Amino acid sequence: MNWIALLGQPNSGKSTVFNQLTGSRQHVGNWPGKTVEKKDGTFTYKDAKYTLVDLPGSYGLSGNSDEEVITEKFIKSGEADLVCVLVDSSQLERSMYMLADFASMDAPAILILNMMDVAAGQGKTIDAALLSKRLGIPVLPFTAADGKGYEELKALMEKELKEPHKLLTRPQIGAEESAADGNAKYAWIRTVLQDVTNAGENEYHLTKLDNVLLKPFWGKAATIGIVLVGFLAAMLIMSPFMAVAGMIPKVLGGPIAQFLTGLHVHPWLVSVFSLLIPNTLYFCISMSAFVFGVNISFGFLEEIGFLARAAYQFDGALSKLGLQGKAVAPILMGMGCTIGGACGTRVMDSWGQKMLTMMVVWAVPCASIWSIIPVISGMFFPAWGTVLVCLGIIAYIFVLMFIVSRVFGGKLVPEETRSGMIMELPPYHKAHWKYIIKEAWIKCFDMFKRALRTVTLVSVIFWAFSFSPSGNVESSLLYKVGTFIEPVTRFFGMGWRTFMAFISAAFAKEAVLGTLNAVFAGQNTVADVAFNATSGGVDAAALSQIMSQTISGAEALAFMFACTFSVPCLMALSTTYRESHSLKWTAKTAGFYIGAALILSCIVYHIALPFLG
Amino acid sequence: MKLSEMKSGTHGTVKSLGRDERFLSRITSIGLTEEAPFQVVKNDRKMPVLVYVRETLLALNRKDCEKIEVAEVRA
Repeated sequence: MNWIALLGQPNSGKSTVFNQLTGSRQHVGNWPGKTVEKKDGTFTYKDAKYTLVDLPGSYGLSGNSDEEVITEKFIKSGEADLVCVLVDSSQLERSMYMLADFASMDAPAILILNMMDVAAGQGKTIDAALLSKRLGIPVLPFTAADGKGYEELKALMEKELKEPHKLLTRPQIGAEESAADGNAKYAWIRTVLQDVTNAGENEYHLTKLDNVLLKPFWGKAATIGIVLVGFLAAMLIMSPFMAVAGMIPKVLGGPIAQFLTGLHVHPWLVSVFSLLIPNTLYFCISMSAFVFGVNISFGFLEEIGFLARAAYQFDGALSKLGLQGKAVAPILMGMGCTIGGACGTRVMDSWGQKMLTMMVVWAVPCASIWSIIPVISGMFFPAWGTVLVCLGIIAYIFVLMFIVSRVFGGKLVPEETRSGMIMELPPYHKAHWKYIIKEAWIKCFDMFKRALRTVTLVSVIFWAFSFSPSGNVESSLLYKVGTFIEPVTRFFGMGWRTFMAFISAAFAKEAVLGTLNAVFAGQNTVADVAFNATSGGVDAAALSQIMSQTISGAEALAFMFACTFSVPCLMALSTTYRESHSLKWTAKTAGFYIGAALILSCIVYHIALPFLG
Repeated sequence: MKLSEMKSGTHGTVKSLGRDERFLSRITSIGLTEEAPFQVVKNDRKMPVLVYVRETLLALNRKDCEKIEVAEVRA
């Protein structure tokens, strides 16, 4: 009972309403048999429980995408007791198209006129009472992002569930879909809106800001600059969380170890509680802080309307990859964090485009990689060499993106279904900070919960592999397995040590230095391997000496490339699965990246060998 | 003429949106229909075309604009 469905075009504020009403009481799953996400959540009003379903779909319901078919079926099945149709008041005529499409389905509905604040800012007035009288359903003026008015909305929902209303009028369309239907629907919208709203401008003038941001060259430069500032802001936001979390292993580790040793607990368990658990906690918190920071700055850039301009700028470049402008935001986010980038692919129009964008995002090295590459490179090469290594990595990003689009593009986004960017550039909005922070917090908390589960599991596996009863690396499982498969890994340019670090890089880039330290310096403590050692935790000078004596520059170079372009991290993998809802394609992506990284390593090694011996 | 050939600042109406069903349904739902009056806000080389239609500023992929037949309307 009390099932309410939300329906609206992108930018209508549908997810804002959904998130504000349900908060963290959300459930994400799949629509049966499809790779389409099903999001529902609950809220309580006056002691009664309501279930809210976020219906998938883009601008209309007459298309044939999986999303639109699911939505149509769901409404027609009568499972929803009430459908809330959301429209953007600042672009009323256009966004009423969803209502026109919905009209043929004959279900109880209310209409929410969202973004009344933006409409008012443009000098538009809307006669909600007249519109309601014509449509025969309640019409509620609303501003979803400011957090007010929700009590009124809930009260309206409660009332309508008891005494539902259906649309009194609908567009005159034929039984079969045709191009003329589009015109008929807009004609209906015009009739319905007659005298309801004052007409908008016929002439559009670009704002001063757009005159700069939309310039072909300088606009691109400004876009990149703004994104960089966004990353700086993200880092500022997360640094306090990181600092506090970083104290956990230091503050808790010692006393716990002392306490447990005092109780004569087995040293094995002591290390679990004093090292493994605090470090896992630290790692999960810092990862979530990262997600929090990136989501706040990109949430801001999205909400003010900047990301749509960025999409306009990069549509041409991205269509060469079989993608379109909208993919620019996830790819830029990927420069900070692949997890954020994978989540950001939600804006894509179709599942295929979304999956392909995710695969391309994987090719973008995240901020964590850039924190370890210079350290490792510095152990082997002079400063100018390190610059060359970084430039080489940057150049290869484009090569890999191209390869990915060639290998998977045809399958995911077949030529005949390729559609270029059709996107609205929303007017610049003021940012609703409370909403942005709340959204970022929900994502960050969700990330923390997932990370805790996955990272704990992997930490345990790692820890078991690296645990050595004698304290010497040679008696660990890691050594035994590593040396056993070394003849194979050698072919790809990596000895057993670097190969083990390569594997650990697929779990978390932060684990790479720790693993290197464990396998080279033999400082095989759990803390080192289990995600603890960022550059601060490792004696870089000592490690550098041992590493440069043990392996060649060519192997180091091959290793750096392989690490950078392998699976970004375990949480990126898990997020890709969650976002794509396809185990098959997640496995394909991971398999491709591991394979491609090994081949790359092999090529780099053999090319570099004559020069770097 | 094609939408991609129109100059920045000019007005026009849509003559034909082509025959691709998928494209048709997408472009219709976002506001561009046959006979709809519009303004070309910005049309730079190699960039998407910015079109103002039904109070909405749209960015349309350049290649797609080559498929849209329009007629210029002089004020």
